[in-house]
Amino acid sequence: MKQLEAIPERRATPPGAQHRVAPRRRAAWRTALTSYSFILPIAVFGVFLLVYPVLYSLALSFRDATVETIVGGDMPFIGFSNYEQSLADPTFWQALENTVIFTFCSILFQFTIGFLLAIFFQNRFPLKNVLVALLLIPWIIPVLTAANTFKGLFNEVGPINQIAHLLGLPTVPWLASPGFALAATIVANIWIGFPFNFILLYSGVCNIPPEVYEAARIDGAGYWRRVGHITLPILKPVTVAVLMLGTIYTVKVFDLVFIMTGGGPANTSHLLSTYAYQIGFSIYNYGEAAAIAIVIIALILTLNLFQLFLRRR
Amino acid sequence: MRPPTFRSPWLYTVVGAIVTVVLLSPLYWVLSGSLMTQRELFSPHFSIWPHQFVFQNWSNALVRLWPHFATSAIVSVCTSALTLLVTAPAAYAMIWLKVRGRGAILSFMLTSQMLPAIVFVIPLFILFSQVSLVNSLPGLILGDMTFTVPFALIMLSAYIREFPYQLVEAAQVDGAGQWRAFFSIVLPVTKTGMITVAIFSFLMPWGDLIFALTFITESGLQPLTLELYKAVGVYGIDWSFLLPGSLLTALPGVIFVVAASRFIVAGFTRGALH
Repeated sequence: MKQLEAIPERRATPPGAQHRVAPRRRAAWRTALTSYSFILPIAVFGVFLLVYPVLYSLALSFRDATVETIVGGDMPFIGFSNYEQSLADPTFWQALENTVIFTFCSILFQFTIGFLLAIFFQNRFPLKNVLVALLLIPWIIPVLTAANTFKGLFNEVGPINQIAHLLGLPTVPWLASPGFALAATIVANIWIGFPFNFILLYSGVCNIPPEVYEAARIDGAGYWRRVGHITLPILKPVTVAVLMLGTIYTVKVFDLVFIMTGGGPANTSHLLSTYAYQIGFSIYNYGEAAAIAIVIIALILTLNLFQLFLRRR
Repeated sequence: MRPPTFRSPWLYTVVGAIVTVVLLSPLYWVLSGSLMTQRELFSPHFSIWPHQFVFQNWSNALVRLWPHFATSAIVSVCTSALTLLVTAPAAYAMIWLKVRGRGAILSFMLTSQMLPAIVFVIPLFILFSQVSLVNSLPGLILGDMTFTVPFALIMLSAYIREFPYQLVEAAQVDGAGQWRAFFSIVLPVTKTGMITVAIFSFLMPWGDLIFALTFITESGLQPLTLELYKAVGVYGIDWSFLLPGSLLTALPGVIFVVAASRFIVAGFTRGALH
């Protein structure tokens, strides 16, 4: 933000301004001032509520920050201890692994479902817009509603086990079994996220001119060949954007897992986000929680750089 | 482009409707379950429809949630209004007034939109405890704004980029200043974008749990999501409250999506892809 603060001065004396006549200089001043008055609110907000928290998180991650040390007023600097402590905790590695599995599986299925829906809705048919709107519902409703829905569906005596029982299949206490608990949250997250993939891919598909397909049809290309050789390549920029945004938003997921499993049973379904929250607000070790938060930031920034690299190519 | 098997377009409608029903079936279970007794809901046998409609679940949930509904509405309306107040002038200035450093601001906002809430929750909790903004709605609103502001700025700049700036230049010839032009020309012309962003900035705090959970402990100030989260208690889950309550919480979003799906589709693709 240093850059931001330096701007008004630079703008106020543009090169050669001193040679101009006074009234013009005053007018330029006023234009510049007006422009900055438009961004003043967001600059203030950004400095206090976005930049400051990120820097403060970074500072906390190197300090012994617990309820006592905060109330006591001095949080001793302890170097990398918080990081060492997290890295030594097997739950951290489990949470990291879960975050990777959760993100990969969610994106894979969300994208596949979204893409299949998009090419289906590429056809023109009656009531199409109504169905498109209805399919957005899982994504637009609060995560809490979706989380409670799937908490019920995967309940030990809930409908999934009721139906399994009906079909003579073994029943599983989904949310109380290690492994299955994470799988259940992934299913729920796929349900929440497929509309986002669908709607972006759908609008991409709608922009493809029909003539492109006509030519291929005349050449005798079948439906799936046309999808593979025309739709997919044209959609490539949209696909990259959808996959990257999806990945970044999935790494952030907190509420869903927090509500459905709370990281349990026995800490097996934690994501990095829920693990950090537990360290921060159940154990009240803010310093270590901040360290995990910084690890998540590092992960997201790496993904972001990877995206830039992909887009440049 | 259609696979050659389908002759009538209505066949697509039928297939599409079946797919939609299957994908939305989890919500159907919540709806029918919200009208069952808890015993029927989790009996060994699957019931697709309540044997006996227990409308009392809904009236109980409404009575219990009503005060929290009001709290959520206040928080969401304020968050939405403040978000627009902060981001609309900024988006306009960054696109059309060629403010220096706009690239830095935009990429910073993009990055902070990607950061997990925990990055903001811990420092703001510590900071807000010191200035007694914990257990206060303004504190919650400021917390919620950390995710609405970056989102709104990015989405609004996509809309404002399409604004015809000649309108402002014409007004300036008539002696209007930038702020006057902003309120009397820019805002009315970009109304659709403003409304879309306002609604999203309403729905995001409406569904927020993490800030409410961290900042609000006083029961009189708890928003809907928190009251519902608490239904998962030490002695098990009160499903006959949780199911209707979850649907009630989803209501604003559903109403919006059904009423204005076109705006969302257009708005969201613009914001996300630019």
